[in-house]
Amino acid sequence: MANEAKAKKKGGLLGIFKDIVYGMSSHEMTRHAVRQRASMEHLFILITMGDLLGVPILPPYYSLRLLPYVTPQIAGWKRRMLRERDVTDILG
Amino acid sequence: MNTLLAVIIGMLTVYLTYTRYARRIDRNVIQSDPKRATPATLYMDGVDFMPTNKNILFGYHFKSIAAAGPIVGAIVAANLWGWLPAIIWLVLGVSFIGWASDYSGIVISIRNDGNSLSAIAHRLVSPRSRTILFMFIFFYLLVGASAFVGIMANVMESQPRTHLGIILLTAMGLLLGQMLYRWRTGLVGATVLTVGVTLLGILAGPWTEGIFKSFNAGLNAISGGTPLVTYFDPTLANFKGADAQIMPSLLFWAIAICVFCYAGSVLPIWRMAQPVVYVGFWISALSIVLGLVGAALATFIKPEVAQFVLPAFKGWNPQLGPAGIMPLWPMLFVTIACGAISGWHALFGSVGTARQIENEADMLPVGGGSMLCEFLLGLLALLAVAVGSKGAPVGAFATGLGGFISVWGVPLQYATSLAFAAFIVIVLVVTQLLFRVMRVTLSEWLGDVIPPVRSQHVSSFVCIALAILVVMTGTWIYLWQLLGGANQLMAALALLLVTVWLASVGKSWYYAGLPAVFMYVTTIASLLVTSYNLYFNVYQINLAAGRVVPVIGSGLMVMVALLLIVAALFIGFDGWRAFLRYRRRPAPAPTPATARA
Repeated sequence: MANEAKAKKKGGLLGIFKDIVYGMSSHEMTRHAVRQRASMEHLFILITMGDLLGVPILPPYYSLRLLPYVTPQIAGWKRRMLRERDVTDILG
Repeated sequence: MNTLLAVIIGMLTVYLTYTRYARRIDRNVIQSDPKRATPATLYMDGVDFMPTNKNILFGYHFKSIAAAGPIVGAIVAANLWGWLPAIIWLVLGVSFIGWASDYSGIVISIRNDGNSLSAIAHRLVSPRSRTILFMFIFFYLLVGASAFVGIMANVMESQPRTHLGIILLTAMGLLLGQMLYRWRTGLVGATVLTVGVTLLGILAGPWTEGIFKSFNAGLNAISGGTPLVTYFDPTLANFKGADAQIMPSLLFWAIAICVFCYAGSVLPIWRMAQPVVYVGFWISALSIVLGLVGAALATFIKPEVAQFVLPAFKGWNPQLGPAGIMPLWPMLFVTIACGAISGWHALFGSVGTARQIENEADMLPVGGGSMLCEFLLGLLALLAVAVGSKGAPVGAFATGLGGFISVWGVPLQYATSLAFAAFIVIVLVVTQLLFRVMRVTLSEWLGDVIPPVRSQHVSSFVCIALAILVVMTGTWIYLWQLLGGANQLMAALALLLVTVWLASVGKSWYYAGLPAVFMYVTTIASLLVTSYNLYFNVYQINLAAGRVVPVIGSGLMVMVALLLIVAALFIGFDGWRAFLRYRRRPAPAPTPATARA
């Protein structure tokens, strides 16, 4: 607890300033990189969809190899895919 | 009046608004609860919904809302009515309307599962309001992009000292993208190199002025020194109206800006749009910080650059053209948009910032705090133009800001060069993003009906061609006020939606409802005034003289203004009915908030 408070104090004003500058300069770039990664993950999910459903659609060996990496992403993927979207979403 | 006093007024406004009004609304009306789960924590998908530290979000939200709007609006308004009405509207606007709009845009999204304003309007108001809002957004983006291309082309044609800096900004942006995403260079080294070279290019502007002057002269020699188009511009000759000319050099710079925006729109975002914004951020941030602190210190260090030279008040209705009207109400309230209140902020806040808010206690510092800081940016622009020379508005702004920067020991010539470049950089980076968003909006809107529009090249070309057509009307002030009208109307509609939502959950709606009514009436009136001015001052006079180009452009602008009014009336009518429906209904019992995990 004391260490946490100490670390917080150490960040102090300089830490706040750093966060604000990061938010202004680079946060948008980070968000874009994260979005790109998410769109790649969507492709992986698509590739392994047959195995997820128990129906081997593509040659199953490769998609089965991918399955362990894809499974943890399913919850986030479902949220992204099922969420209602409209044109204004591109502004964010 | 001097700059120190104005800065003190600005700081007091921020302090009093935040502590005495905004916090009270946050505590008593919205009842923000740090223990209530936000969409970012409830629906965290690691992409759109992501809990983020409030300081980072403050910077992100501020940078996303603070662009060319607060600067250009303050410059134009101070030149039309004087600095006093402008500063009064900035202070009152941000205190009672602006922060409420930004903050409420975030609140309404957070309390409605992170949905966008259009999705909430679809549910709370009426299904058609969403469709109308899409159309509204497209024309809003079109008018915005046109206004920015117009002012940039004029500044670049008249200020050859800015050219080298802008060319280097583009080159360094492309290089930065390559370094970061292909060569995997470290961010700090790449930033130092690209921002440093761009800054040197800007400061070397006065040395290369002669070269670019000759270049412009060479372009004008193509037509033998005669203008491509001559048209009547009611804002010339001290607002009495005179014939204006479009020279080949102006057309060249307008097209060059559009080519830049086309590249920013169709290239992968990491290749150009994002790195140019990043390099531009450091240039504009440097100029703004040096300018703002310089404005406060100038009274002590360099008093000659701190005294206001612009008249405090120029009249209630400065006439623009033979049959023009420019009444202080409603026109001042749309001429200065972003520094006082802006629809863009609420729109962006609902889809961008709200989905990253970690804690409800962060809604006010992020939403309200960013808006209050943007007010300071608008105030800086107003101070710069108020102390600047009595020349062209942007020139006066650059002279004024250059004076503030020179307080730090930078020679005035270079400081003014930096101020000009900062202005163009701020406008340019926003414009390329506007075109990018506009082409996506057009594809989504018309892609099913007109399949070729789905192509990014076709949709970008259509957007740019429309913008060039609007720019060629030549009456830039009306274009800016059309943008202000659309922007403020968007803010009024956002506040209207917040009012309906507050009524639907049984909360006091006055803090949003009264500003909504004021902005709704004011902006519709301003769009009518702009349509009147365009029709009688530009359309009829140029039609009588047989000039085709300005007739097409001004006719198009009148149509856009009327379309926005009709769209606003539909949404207003639906909103009013929804409001009455919720008011007649008994207030819902308070539901327990979902606790944070």
